[in-house]
Amino acid sequence: MRMNKWISMLCAVSLLALLLAGCGGNGADEKNGGNGDKVSITIWHNWTGQDAKAVAMRQIIEDFQADNPDIEVIDEGIPTDGLKTRLRTVAAADEMPDLFVMWPDAMTKEFVKGGLLQPINDELDAKPEWKNNFIPNALDGYTVDGNIYSVPMNLAPSSFIYYNDALFKEHGVKVPETWEELEAAVQTFKEKNVIPIVLGNKANWVAQSTLFSTLADRITGTDWFLKTVEQDGAKFTDPEFVEALTKLKQLGELGAFQEGFNSIDETQMMQLYFQGKAAMVINGGWALANLVNNAPPEVLDNTHITILPAIEGGKGDPGTTAGVVGTGLGVSKKLTGSKKEAAMKLFYEMAGPDGQKATLNSSTLVSYNIELDKSQAHPLFVELYDLMQEVKITPVYDSKLGSAVVEVVNNGLQELLDGGKPEDIAKKIQDAQAAAVAN
Amino acid sequence: MNISTPAALRTDGDGPRFSLRRLGRIIFWTVLTLYGILTLYPFLWLLISSFKTNADFYNRPFGLPETWHADNFSRAWDSSRLGTAFGNSLIVTLGSLLLTLFVAALSSFILARFQFRGKGGILAFFVVGMLIPIHSTLVPLFILMKQMSMLNTYWALILPYTAFALPTAIFILTAYLTSIPKELEEAAFIDGTGLWGLFFRIMLPVSLPALSTVTILSFLHAWNDFSFALVFINKTGLKTLPLAIANFADGYQTDYGLTLAAMTLSVIPTIILYLLFQEQMMKGMTAGAVKG
Amino acid sequence: MNALRSRRFIWMGLGPTLILYALFVFVPVIWSAYYGFFNWSGIGEAKYIGLGNYAEILRDPVFWRALKNNVIFVAASVFGQVPIALVLAVLLHKSNMLQRFLRSAIFLPMVLSTVVIGMIWQYIYHPQIGILNFLLDALGLGSWKLEWLSDRGIAIYSLIPPLIWSYVGLYLIIFMSALQNIPGEIHDAAKIDGASGGRKLVSILLPMIKNTVQVAVILCISGSLKSFDLVYIMTKGGPAHASELLATYMYNSTFTTYRYGFGSAISTTIMLISLLLIGTSQWLTSRKKDAS
Repeated sequence: MRMNKWISMLCAVSLLALLLAGCGGNGADEKNGGNGDKVSITIWHNWTGQDAKAVAMRQIIEDFQADNPDIEVIDEGIPTDGLKTRLRTVAAADEMPDLFVMWPDAMTKEFVKGGLLQPINDELDAKPEWKNNFIPNALDGYTVDGNIYSVPMNLAPSSFIYYNDALFKEHGVKVPETWEELEAAVQTFKEKNVIPIVLGNKANWVAQSTLFSTLADRITGTDWFLKTVEQDGAKFTDPEFVEALTKLKQLGELGAFQEGFNSIDETQMMQLYFQGKAAMVINGGWALANLVNNAPPEVLDNTHITILPAIEGGKGDPGTTAGVVGTGLGVSKKLTGSKKEAAMKLFYEMAGPDGQKATLNSSTLVSYNIELDKSQAHPLFVELYDLMQEVKITPVYDSKLGSAVVEVVNNGLQELLDGGKPEDIAKKIQDAQAAAVAN
Repeated sequence: MNISTPAALRTDGDGPRFSLRRLGRIIFWTVLTLYGILTLYPFLWLLISSFKTNADFYNRPFGLPETWHADNFSRAWDSSRLGTAFGNSLIVTLGSLLLTLFVAALSSFILARFQFRGKGGILAFFVVGMLIPIHSTLVPLFILMKQMSMLNTYWALILPYTAFALPTAIFILTAYLTSIPKELEEAAFIDGTGLWGLFFRIMLPVSLPALSTVTILSFLHAWNDFSFALVFINKTGLKTLPLAIANFADGYQTDYGLTLAAMTLSVIPTIILYLLFQEQMMKGMTAGAVKG
Repeated sequence: MNALRSRRFIWMGLGPTLILYALFVFVPVIWSAYYGFFNWSGIGEAKYIGLGNYAEILRDPVFWRALKNNVIFVAASVFGQVPIALVLAVLLHKSNMLQRFLRSAIFLPMVLSTVVIGMIWQYIYHPQIGILNFLLDALGLGSWKLEWLSDRGIAIYSLIPPLIWSYVGLYLIIFMSALQNIPGEIHDAAKIDGASGGRKLVSILLPMIKNTVQVAVILCISGSLKSFDLVYIMTKGGPAHASELLATYMYNSTFTTYRYGFGSAISTTIMLISLLLIGTSQWLTSRKKDAS
């Protein structure tokens, strides 16, 4: 049985190869431990694209690498959704990278609860000129039990009306400052066969984040919302919240949004706006870069930015937009000694004054007080920047509620805009939040 | 070559009844051809769109490009290290493919041609493997690989790809081999062929059509996988194609020209493989028919 | 045949397969089933809650919606993909240019990544600039226009054509390889008998590839119960859970809402349901066999 021997050998060899490969991988890992002269740190991020922000952030890492030959930075870019999935998986196995892009609120809280992060209080306190320059409340989303775990590297106001002024002029419509004017504008555009407000709510957070969070705040006020989140004397079934839902439903029934808005994504939503088929699009500050890069000149040059109009009788401040501070960097609990030193140095490069400046210069708003160099920036970004100097930020719903409740809110809004009853949806949200708080 | 003349073109039979039937056939084949063109369209769309700029893609998703940007391909190739990713994908895909083919063929031969205790149990055991939603295995597999120090090696992908491709492969191959007449191996035994010889010299050649199906399936499975590659590999140098392609898309902005160009490039090996094996398989058939 | 020798051969052949499969597929599955008994966010402390997660799944209306949608998907695949592929396999099993072209065209969607397929079908169904509504308008059927993907009543049905269309090629090649196993004389004999088209398929070919059809049905059931990508890309399970599937429901619980234990319980449930369905289908087909 010559054949027989051959096969046995083949099996043995492949098993051996397998083992060797395993050991090889192990050896490589140990080398990264870095007790030699060169310290190596890993950083996982989502700056993979070709947009200005991503390019700017990658540049910082490259420069850091060049300036610090004794530190080896192993950086890995993974697109946002993938990064979140990967982080969840490694978190379950307690294998966090040294530094990673981290979202405020829900993710930060979960990771702190799991004992995966270390606070950066000491580093912040050592550099008061850094710590004190963040805009008010910027660090809240990264603070758990009095410890600060990160700082935001950008700012994401989520609710602006980008409007095509040429279409407003052509049809003699005034840019709305009150809710009635908005409804009138919707009606006029509808009659003229122009999409009044283009909406792409397939990824169901869009309506919640870009429209409803601000609309609801106008009616209920921020205090009510924060109390309701704690389930402290206020409930989502309260009349003011039902009124907010009703207001959104009425806007939908008026024909403000194009047909099929629950089936198109954010890309297609912006696409319809670029094609000049829509008078307005409601989107976050993050949409600006896309607009500047991809909108044809006849649309881009006529585009201006404003906030959602005031609602008469509402308890909220009309000069606000919903928003969250942007992503920060999580610092793994396992970091110590020279490795930690190196990681914090990179942290400061990215999220310190220079990093914030680089971010602002890439047409991205920051949660940090620095002046914009207006001669370098696109006029539309200057407009946004100036608007932000007057506008205050109120919480976005999905930043304050637990992730399970957010799912209920998002799906509820899809249902609401598709004929659902405000009272029923309010009840579902209330039940979910009550259950989440009770846990 | 009578066998391969399409029915519609055959000239036998005349008279009104037959020409009516012929007309029906022509219509039938025309409809089928239209369907074929329809299924081809997505590929054409991908190909055409990969020459567009982002603005062009936004403004006219169905039109031809305003200007044909062939540089999308070279830019895509350079900016996301597609070359390395191509190599990595080839290594893990071919590695798992060869392993799958050998292991699955051998097991299927045994399961299809031998009677032994526990056979039904083993078959059922393999069915379970086809039912697993892979996302639920990500965390356990990650921990397992960490303990075996296998993360960040090619094996971290080759072995799970093989393991997850096995059930389907074994199923297809076993079903195929069961239907082969017994006389074949009896004749071989009389000739004095051993079991390994029977497997290599008789069973493998006979099951070529099924093997080529399994090849195409396993190749697609490994070539297009995103989830495993995302979680088990975090060295830039070991990234596979789907990961590299995903890099063109960032949360709020996707460069469609580059993404689609990269996708077009990544589809080419699969198409080549398909044409190679599909035609091989069909040749095998005609040969068999002649012999039979 | 030497019994001892063949027994050694059996276990030597099956051994590597079983080890590989058990380690990388079965262990993680059991592991994840074990997580299903815990209230665990995926990070940090886990709390044992027995069957609590399962009780909650059964109470959750979204689960029942997802199950119903999955059953629709299974039915559509079993009664759509398999028969279409079978008919096409019989029609296209020759090798002239036209047939070769059609075969490749029908297989092509399998090669493309789901991202591309999802993207194209979204543009076909697009409410403003979609091809489908445009065609209906052009044909004077404007009243048939629907909000294909955003109407909660029809979204799940709108997903069926892309589903069938993208997988027909898979079953086509499986059936083609099975048909080649049929000796040429049988095709000739059928021709002499004057059996053609439908009759030939049902009375002669079908019984001969019965095994393969069974395998295809099992692949179909398991595949559509696991299906995830297409729906996740095209509708994200929306609007308002209208097109939620078990796998998207599981994915959301595991990776979006920080409920890892609950997600694991769902995936175990998916496997149990699949086993049940496949068991039933096996029982049905074997009963039919006994009857005939």
